[in-house]
Amino acid sequence: MSAIWYYVFTLVFFLFDYFILAMGLNIQYGETGILNFAYIGFVAVGAYVTGAVSMPNSAGTGQHYILGWGVPFPFNLIIGGLAASALAVIVALITLRRLRTDYLAMVLISLSLVLYDVCNNFVPLFNGADGLYNVPEPMAGMFHLTSNSFVPFFAGVAGLVALIMWFIMSRITNSPLGRTFRAIRDDAGVAAALGKGVFRYQLTSMLIGSFYAGIGGGLIIQFGGSFNPSAWLPGETFVIFAVIIVGGVGNNIGLIVGALLVETMLVHLPAFLPAIPGHPGLIEYVDAMLIGVLLMVMLWFRPQGMVPERIRRFAMPALGSSKSDGEPVGATAVATSKEAE
Amino acid sequence: MTNTDQTATAQVDVPILRCVNIVKSFLGVKAVNGATFDVPKGQITALIGPNGAGKTTVVNILSGAMKSDSGTVEINGVDVTNWENYKIARMGLMRTFQLSRELGGLTVLENLLAAPKVQAGESLMNIFFRPGLVKRQERENVERAVEILRTYGLYELRDNRARELSGGQKKLLEISRGVMASPSLLLLDEPMAGVNPALIERIGGYILDLKKQGVTILMVEHNLNVVEQICDHVIVLAEGRTLATGRLSDLRANQEVVQAYLGEVIHASTHS
Repeated sequence: MSAIWYYVFTLVFFLFDYFILAMGLNIQYGETGILNFAYIGFVAVGAYVTGAVSMPNSAGTGQHYILGWGVPFPFNLIIGGLAASALAVIVALITLRRLRTDYLAMVLISLSLVLYDVCNNFVPLFNGADGLYNVPEPMAGMFHLTSNSFVPFFAGVAGLVALIMWFIMSRITNSPLGRTFRAIRDDAGVAAALGKGVFRYQLTSMLIGSFYAGIGGGLIIQFGGSFNPSAWLPGETFVIFAVIIVGGVGNNIGLIVGALLVETMLVHLPAFLPAIPGHPGLIEYVDAMLIGVLLMVMLWFRPQGMVPERIRRFAMPALGSSKSDGEPVGATAVATSKEAE
Repeated sequence: MTNTDQTATAQVDVPILRCVNIVKSFLGVKAVNGATFDVPKGQITALIGPNGAGKTTVVNILSGAMKSDSGTVEINGVDVTNWENYKIARMGLMRTFQLSRELGGLTVLENLLAAPKVQAGESLMNIFFRPGLVKRQERENVERAVEILRTYGLYELRDNRARELSGGQKKLLEISRGVMASPSLLLLDEPMAGVNPALIERIGGYILDLKKQGVTILMVEHNLNVVEQICDHVIVLAEGRTLATGRLSDLRANQEVVQAYLGEVIHASTHS
């Protein structure tokens, strides 16, 4: 396979993976209004746990890590997702009951830093700053894949996983549960006044979103075969925020557009460009600036994103009586006017 | 009188809402200072008083949006003091807000569909394993919501986002959303504030219709003409405590009430 196709399939993989990550953050932020600034931490937990359960016992590997059960795909991925969800329960129990919006965001960004420091410095957990490497390539033996043919294969696997995850997410966001999430996003006080246990729904949203984060992280570690703290600096959370803000908050289709524009075109495509002589890292810096500029331009001129949240319409029941459309009925006692305003 | 009659009378006599000696301070300032009153079942009760009397604070405490420092609140004889607001809502108490608080990103119809307290489709298990039940209940809720929107003249706006509505339409949306939740007690916080006279009449009509349907209403209101026309019972709050209760016509003769509130209102209306 030529180098160009290797790059193309790498970009395709990241497109699908960031679509999954964006769906997870979107249900938390775009649907439920939870400013989860620790999102990349949940991605990392999913990645590490997926890697650690896939690998054999750490003895003799030259690495230090927990678990080491040799769990095959896709069970390792599901365990990674569940681990991220388990972390979400702990975080939600500590933070969500007492904190709202800005304060919650500040605590979560602190949590992200704590998680980062723990993983970076506590070597017995996930091999510290070196991170995990030599993570088995899933199904490579079964299909006799080389390290080159694995790339398009796993990009396809990521596409299939993204399709399943999109189907599940669409069912959730189009259900009354999704509507209740959006009610909480719009005004948690009103939702509570309507009898909705806000904490319970926020916890559910955190669980679902973190599961998606864990799955996205699990795919990353299996695709690259390694994962270390340099891959999940706390600022990475804002790249995923940029994906959903550019694509369209609260719209699952918009998220793939956001993933294409931000993650594929701005983050990963320039990484394949040759370095400018005499200016190492310049492309990377310009890249980060471009993401920031794009974010500001979108927030200023098109805050609803490229594909705005759609209006959900319902099939109308047949008109069973003589009531005419739009005209108020009832209110017989003192009503005189027909139009609200 | 037979035993059945006595039981029936006793049930009628139990107020749907009773609050006793409610106290609430903010940084040492007592916003509510021993408010005590009953809200009779099946009637329209007005909560009136001068600005700063503590009316909205009382509504917030009754609905669980705010915790009281002391005192008790009972709904149908059940002590719900300082319960969380969603639990109080599940007891059948719905409220509207002084400044309309619509679910802005949702459509008008979705605002109503969000209202039923317990929905099968709010459970992940039901979404994936009992989709038929979810679909059936959703269809029933849509039918009911459409009927309510037609009643309140909002049907044509059903697919508009709620944040796009005018102030008056938002007031109607809040009331219709409360109705969609099938309340036994509806707390209306200044439902007529900032709306035109024609709409005031219409909202008054809707409130009377709700009473006919068996819904008890407690409304904070400054418009004494409306209070006189539609309310059966009036509670006057001043400086955080209950000054008097009764019919408005009787309260007009109460010197204390006139001094604390009615005189102020009459004075204001003669100068406007």
